[in-house]
Amino acid sequence: MDLELLFAAAGQILTPWPFFLLFIGTSLGILVGAIPGMTGAMLIALTLPLTFYMDPFNAIVLLVAMYVGAISGGLITATLLRMPGTPAAVMTTFDGYPMARNGRPGRALGLGITASFVGGLIAWITLATITKPLSVFATKFGPFEYFTLIMMAMVLIASVSEGSLAKGLISGLLGMLISMPGVDPATGMPRLTFDWYMLNGGLKLLPVLIGVFAVSQIIKDALDIGQVPERIAMSSKGMLMSIRDFLHQGVNLIRSSLIGTWVGILPGIGASIGSVIAYTAAKNMSTTPEKFGTGSEEGIVASEAANNATVGGALIPLIAMGIPGSVIDAILIGALMIHSIQPGPTLFLTNADIVWGMIAACLLANVLMWLLMTSSVKYIAGLMYLPRSFVLPVVMVFCVIGSFALNNTMFDVWVMLIFGVMGFLMECAKIPLGPFVIGFVLAPLAEEKLRSGLMMTAGDFSPIFTRPLPLFFTILAVILLLWPIVGDWVRKRRLSHK
Amino acid sequence: MSRILISLFVGLNLLTSPVWGAWPEKPIKIIVPFKAGGTSDQTARVFQAAMKENNLLSQPVTIVNVGGHYSIGSRQVMEANPDGHTFLLIHIALMGGEGSGALNFGWRDFAPVAATGEFCLFPMVRKDSDINSVQDLLGAAKSNPDTLIFGANLGAINHLAGVMLQELAPGAKFRFVQIGGGTANYTALTGAQTNATVLSGAEVVKFTRMPDGSENPEAQIKPLAYTGSERFEQLSQLPTMKELGYDMEFCIKSWWFAPKGTPEAAIKGFANALQASTSTDRYQKFLDSKGFANLFLGGNDLQQDLQNTWTAIEPVAKLASKK
Repeated sequence: MDLELLFAAAGQILTPWPFFLLFIGTSLGILVGAIPGMTGAMLIALTLPLTFYMDPFNAIVLLVAMYVGAISGGLITATLLRMPGTPAAVMTTFDGYPMARNGRPGRALGLGITASFVGGLIAWITLATITKPLSVFATKFGPFEYFTLIMMAMVLIASVSEGSLAKGLISGLLGMLISMPGVDPATGMPRLTFDWYMLNGGLKLLPVLIGVFAVSQIIKDALDIGQVPERIAMSSKGMLMSIRDFLHQGVNLIRSSLIGTWVGILPGIGASIGSVIAYTAAKNMSTTPEKFGTGSEEGIVASEAANNATVGGALIPLIAMGIPGSVIDAILIGALMIHSIQPGPTLFLTNADIVWGMIAACLLANVLMWLLMTSSVKYIAGLMYLPRSFVLPVVMVFCVIGSFALNNTMFDVWVMLIFGVMGFLMECAKIPLGPFVIGFVLAPLAEEKLRSGLMMTAGDFSPIFTRPLPLFFTILAVILLLWPIVGDWVRKRRLSHK
Repeated sequence: MSRILISLFVGLNLLTSPVWGAWPEKPIKIIVPFKAGGTSDQTARVFQAAMKENNLLSQPVTIVNVGGHYSIGSRQVMEANPDGHTFLLIHIALMGGEGSGALNFGWRDFAPVAATGEFCLFPMVRKDSDINSVQDLLGAAKSNPDTLIFGANLGAINHLAGVMLQELAPGAKFRFVQIGGGTANYTALTGAQTNATVLSGAEVVKFTRMPDGSENPEAQIKPLAYTGSERFEQLSQLPTMKELGYDMEFCIKSWWFAPKGTPEAAIKGFANALQASTSTDRYQKFLDSKGFANLFLGGNDLQQDLQNTWTAIEPVAKLASKK
């Protein structure tokens, strides 16, 4: 039955128009991933308004394809320029760039591309098999279960994001604060609107996202607009992995993919963390750990397999529980809601075609990504040298159109510009943007769940501590929050003893 | 001299102005104060298509979705130039917001144009509960007040319907809990997190019936009665609230408003175009797919219906906003 639905969805994607969108989405994703300073989150946030007038199935195919493409495209710049095209490709720079400098750019890219493909494939198998059982399980989740799960996710993102825990928390809290104005979920009355009716609807996700991710990046790029990267000689020698390569890298490939998938499933943390963990694991288990950082094949494979695996992994909680696993997933949830589709446990029942479309698109985009990148990486690499003075104005125009098109109000355009400046200032202060967005998306969800739970129990908080799952999530959250602090303290004590 | 010229010019302008017959003189804008893709948006787009296909208006109709809270788009129409080219599509939420005090304006700040198509609701409970009728439901809410959990989107349609329901039996009280719209309430009721809610006819069919119309054995929820004046076609075995002896009718119509001061010719003209659209095949198909009943109200009938609805809804909205 399910397989039938999956094949039906795949069949629908392979008809001309959806396939065209899949193709466009994957290629645009790769291109954007390959151009430093442009990210997948930016591309998807800007594409979202264009999908308003599309059939929801096609819209999802397009966006998922972009997601897969963007995570993969980052490896090109990471390898050839030592500049991660997307944050997820940071670990790839460590070994991809040295290998490319040593005259084997084709080999480095080839390893990365195929590892990406295998990572995506393994994550996809997990996605296709466990999402439905998990969604059945998730219908048993009451408001307290959701509330504690979301709290745990928020702590997780703050504690593992780059930079200090304090800055992560500041960023997350700022995001939560920004999400507060609008209609109070427990009374239906406007709050924190300062009697200004434009704020009755609150600050919308899309203009805030476009501002924080795209506009802030434009400001940053505009400040060093003349910068042109140094060229590296490109050859496609060694692009395809041989059977011997697969035998050599097999264990590493599977381990890294599984790590990536698992990290993707955990709500709140995305591709960057997945590749860091897989890279570290590969290094610890390698027989030649000293090669890591100087052009190790294992390093490239671990990083790329893991970051692509997080894509499929992160779609699992999105579909099954309506909780985003990463920043891009938060935008995808917005896309579904724009089409009146509520992600969550009942999605399989109410919109089976969309779910299976999403799952099938994930697989097909992965295959297409591999074909496109293997065949045309040489030409895509040329894009890195596009002058920024051409790229930035075009992107800025799209930012304005995208923000306006959501609600047809200039208000949203102003919101976008203000958050663009804010995002830029946060980056200057080295405050990470990830927790901000996750806080902004998750806080209203957490609030609504907590308050409906309290309405059910007439104000009694005790289910958080008496029901097994909420208790488990709460304890885990506390441990995650205290871990870095305790660890720091122990280290300092040890140092002072010496 | 110049003053005389200006008044002459204004006078001439008035004589030739479209108010005296040439309406519409430019494209007509329908503001839908909800995001694209929702039921209200779909309704507006069906009318837009029907008007275009049948050449009901000499100018094109454009739809502007103003998302966020519905008060934002409604306010835009209220403050728009009343030249007969801007209209609002909204429903009972407008009265709910005014009654609860969430809005500082209301339906009387607009010129009513028409009401089209309506849908009504089914009170729902779990199949495994001992509640088998509206009487059981109200009885349970009365003997154990504030214990039956009623899932709603607080301040919205399903909340108002729940309050109206409990007011039928003095002393009955549900515990209203923020759950959300139809799908969220279906999930919560299926997962036994809530004890009752209301769903639209189309939702009941989607969640409890197989595609061939037979009962879905996996559904864990059941409808009790219909809040319309006549039985719901696809679930005709269920009685209406009126048949059960309860004085309750709760239906949601699409209301069309114009800014106050809009010329009568424009209001009549647009109402006629809407009415003509309601007899097209396209519109009929849309009604069937949504489980809506066909209906058209204009002129005095509309004014009377709005007044009656307000009389019924105002106290309910006040109660709903009280803690």
